[in-house]
Amino acid sequence: MARQRLATGAAGVLLGLYGVLRLVTENSLRDLLFIAVWMVAAVAIHDGVLSPAVLVVGRLLRAVPARARRWVQLVLVVGALVTIVALPLLHKQGSQPESKALLVNDYSDRLTVLLVVLAVVGLAGYAVQAARSTRPGPDSAHSPDDSRQP
Amino acid sequence: MRPADLIQKPPWWPRFTSPLRSTAVTARLGRVLGIAFGICFVTGLLSHYQYQPWGWLPEPASPVWLYRVTQGTHVITGIACIPLILVKLWSVYPNLFRWPPVSSMRNGAERLSVFVLVSSSLLQVVTGFINILGWYPWPWSFVRVHHYLAYVVIGSVLLHIAVKLPDIKYGLGVKVADGDVLSEVSWSDNPHAHSNAGPVPPPPTPAISRRALLAATGVGVGVVVATTVGQTLTPLRPLNLLAPRDTGKGPQGLPVNRTALAAGVVESARSAGWSLEVVGPRPYRLSLAEVEELATSEASLPITCVEGWSLGAHWRGIPLLDVVRRAGGGHGSRVHFLSLQTRGAFGSSDIDGPQLSHALLATHLNGERLNIDHGYPLRLIAPNRAGVLNTKWLMKIVVR
Repeated sequence: MARQRLATGAAGVLLGLYGVLRLVTENSLRDLLFIAVWMVAAVAIHDGVLSPAVLVVGRLLRAVPARARRWVQLVLVVGALVTIVALPLLHKQGSQPESKALLVNDYSDRLTVLLVVLAVVGLAGYAVQAARSTRPGPDSAHSPDDSRQP
Repeated sequence: MRPADLIQKPPWWPRFTSPLRSTAVTARLGRVLGIAFGICFVTGLLSHYQYQPWGWLPEPASPVWLYRVTQGTHVITGIACIPLILVKLWSVYPNLFRWPPVSSMRNGAERLSVFVLVSSSLLQVVTGFINILGWYPWPWSFVRVHHYLAYVVIGSVLLHIAVKLPDIKYGLGVKVADGDVLSEVSWSDNPHAHSNAGPVPPPPTPAISRRALLAATGVGVGVVVATTVGQTLTPLRPLNLLAPRDTGKGPQGLPVNRTALAAGVVESARSAGWSLEVVGPRPYRLSLAEVEELATSEASLPITCVEGWSLGAHWRGIPLLDVVRRAGGGHGSRVHFLSLQTRGAFGSSDIDGPQLSHALLATHLNGERLNIDHGYPLRLIAPNRAGVLNTKWLMKIVVR
C-alpha cells in the first residue's frame, strides 16, 4: 500500500507541477495575479461566508422539533444545491442575442417552481410520517417523543 | 514537545459537534467527486484534441456524435460537481479549524496542498459554469487557464487521495451511520476516535440521518442534472428548466454561438458579388449560382458546441471532397478554411483525414437556405467536429 500511495502522490505532484508550469509560462503576470486573487477569493467566500451561513442556519433549525427538522433539512439541502446552480442563470438571463437561444428564459420563475415542488414534497413526506406515527405500532427510532433512547 | 503545543487553544476556538459529519460521509462524497473530476479531466483533454489534433492522428469522422457525447458528458459532469463539491467541503469544514493551525512541516505542506486542491477546484467548476453562460468576468484566456488548471486540479486530487488513503479506507470500510464524528480535533488527539477507543457506538442523529443527507445530496445533484442535460440529450429537453441553452430555439430551430452581427459579416455575406475562392494546384472560383447548383448532397450531422449543448440537424450542400478534387487535391489533402468574419476568434479552421472525406460545404439547413447567423451563403459542416471549427461565411478554401 505504501508504494502505491507514494506512486499516486508522486504522479499527483508531477501533474500539478506541469499545470502550474504551463500556467506560469503562458499567462502574463497580470493574468496570473488575477487568477491568484480569484482562487483566494473562492476559498475566502466559501470558508468565510457560505460555510458560516450554513452553520447559522443549522443552529437556528435546532429550535424545530426533530421529526419536522428532518424534513426541513432535506428540503433545504436539495433546495440550496439547486439554487446555487440557478443563481448565475438568473443573474445573466436576457443578456444574449436571441439567435444564440442562450439564457432566453425567466429562470426565476423556473427556480420558484422547482423550490415550491420541493417544499410540497417535503411537507407531504412530513405529513405522511406524522400520520403514521400517531397510529399504534412500532414507531420510528428517532422520533422526538421517543423516550427509549439509550 | 512540538513547539505549537506551547500555544494554548483559545477558548473561543470553534467546536463542531454535528453527528452528520463523518469520515464515512466524506469518503463517500469524495469517491463520487473524484470519479466526476476524472471524467471531466479525460473528456476535457479529448475536447482540446478537437482543436489541436496531432498531424498523424486526425479526429475520426465516425461515430458522428462522438464529440457530442464526450463534451456533453464533460459539461454535465462539471455542472454536477458544483453541488457535489459544496457538500464535500461542508463535510470537512471542521478540518479548517485544527489546532494548532500548523503542527509540523509535513502538516503545513499537507494543508497547503489542500488549499491548492480546494481553490483550484472551486475556480475550475465556477469559471467553467460561468463560461457556458457566455459570461467572462475575468481578464485571462478561459481556454488556456481551464486547460492547465485541470492538471493542477487532477494532480492535487491524486496527491489528496495518497495523503488521505488511511482515512478513505476507514471511511469506505465502515457503515455510513457508524463512522466517527468528524470534528476539528484530529483522530490522534481525540480520545473518542475509533483509533484510540476502538469501535465506537454510532452517534445518534436526532433529525436528518447521514444516509438521508447523502440521499438529499444525490437528489440535489439529480435535479440539477435532470434540468440541464436536455441541452445535450434531446429526449430530455422537456425537463430543461435550468439549462442555459434552448436547443430547439434559434434560427431554423438551431442555436448559434456567434451571430453574423458579432462576426461583422452582415453586409459581406449578403453581397451579390460573393464567390468562393478555391486555392490549390488547380485554383478556381465558384459563384453563388454555381454553389447552389452543386449543392445536392444531404447529411444528418449534429452541431456540437464546446459549451456542452448539441443538436442533430439536416444539411444539404456540396461534398467537400468534390471541391478538393477539382482543385487537384484528394483524401490526403489538408484543407484550410477562411471566413468572411472580421471579428472574434475562429475565423479559420483546418480539416484533414476522415473528417475531410465526410464533410459538406453546406447551403441548406433543415430544408431551408442557410440563415445568415448559420453561415449564409456557405459553411463547413463535418461529423464529430466541434461547432466553432465548422467555419461559417466561407470566403476561401486552401487545398494543400
